[in-house]
Amino acid sequence: MSENKGKTFFIDQTRCTACRGCQAACKQWKKLAADETVNTGSYQNPPDLNGHTFKLVRFNEVEVDGKLKWVFFPEQCRHCLEPPCKMMADAFIPGAIIQDEATGAVLYTEKTKELDYQTIREACPYDIPRKEETTGLLTKCNMCIDRVRAGMLPACVKTCPTYTMHFGDRDEMLAIARARLAEVQKTSPAALLADSDLVRVLYLCEVHPSHYHHHMVADAGGATDRIGPFSRRALLAMRPLRMG
Amino acid sequence: MKMNRRGFIKLAATGTVAAAFGGLGISLAPVAVHAEGLAIDKATLTTSVCCYCAVGCGLLVWTDPATGRTINIEGNPDHPTNEGTLCPKGSSIWQTTEQSQRITKVLYRAPGSDKWEEKSWDWALPRIARKIKDTRDASFEALNDKGQPVNRTRAMASVGSAAIDNEEGWLLQAMHRSLGLVYLESHARI
Repeated sequence: MSENKGKTFFIDQTRCTACRGCQAACKQWKKLAADETVNTGSYQNPPDLNGHTFKLVRFNEVEVDGKLKWVFFPEQCRHCLEPPCKMMADAFIPGAIIQDEATGAVLYTEKTKELDYQTIREACPYDIPRKEETTGLLTKCNMCIDRVRAGMLPACVKTCPTYTMHFGDRDEMLAIARARLAEVQKTSPAALLADSDLVRVLYLCEVHPSHYHHHMVADAGGATDRIGPFSRRALLAMRPLRMG
Repeated sequence: MKMNRRGFIKLAATGTVAAAFGGLGISLAPVAVHAEGLAIDKATLTTSVCCYCAVGCGLLVWTDPATGRTINIEGNPDHPTNEGTLCPKGSSIWQTTEQSQRITKVLYRAPGSDKWEEKSWDWALPRIARKIKDTRDASFEALNDKGQPVNRTRAMASVGSAAIDNEEGWLLQAMHRSLGLVYLESHARI
């Protein structure tokens, strides 16, 4: 699929107040199970994505130019233009992971039960796929494909009270993301759109991406603490294959 | 075919991956996935107002016509207050009724006891009324130390509820004031 077609999210993290409306709306629409939460010293709960948590607001306290900054990262599947998880899955169970033609959404099917969890998780440059232990399915955000096909916004975008979350045609989202980036760069010159040439979720980072999460961008340093996802170079290297 | 990650990256980098897997990247035959219709397609749609805070966000409520139970609630885009958006409490408001852990019976814990006992409403309501009346009568102050009329009780307080709506809140405080309560608060601020 051409990188200028299909749908895309624009997530303006300068506006996020970490209310977690998106996280709750995702669970509500998809009727996903709740987790018993514990106090880990952070408001971030549950502490990580899991088999029934596809959207997670990450809370980070960081020092930027000698000042405390609280940065929030509403994390979800990036719906890569060329999804490595799908490429990996195709090598084992073709059709287990598919890409929707119209939207570009990366969709996990029932057949993901037959895939090796670690193999697929490690293929993701952003460490998104998880396994739902009760069903054996590999799970993640599906772009609310049922809603989008019916002309509705994804649940997380619809609910966002601060207009952090946006969703629409890719060219339109790229345009508003770039316009907003130019605006933010006037006061925060380091601001950037994370991996905007690779993914369908455009995260506007006001500070360095590593402050948000070590998997904010595909090549963020220090990403090897648990598992080793693809590097940005490897991800880029795959892109021309689609034309062959 | 088994392949480790290092091998995969190497293949991807050398461009042989397409040959190895045969047409990698070309979309596979349509797969029956998410073939089911939209969950709310046949539901009854009504509007409501979020019960939680004083902002009063508009809601769209989808109900299953067969069971009468709510299946989805989200913000009403036509409502001027929230224009379709909802905070996390509003986003999860579906659970105010559709929640297996919701308490639907009176639970009573006797003084000094460590156990909850199930009781009937017929037992609980007169008992609560009796306690309120007795406490109010025993503690009522018509005048303060300076002889000024105050008509109050300081033996009871209300911590309100963030789960009642604006009109219920008005009724609750009107009842409290008629009894002479002066300690009125919402638990949302505690």
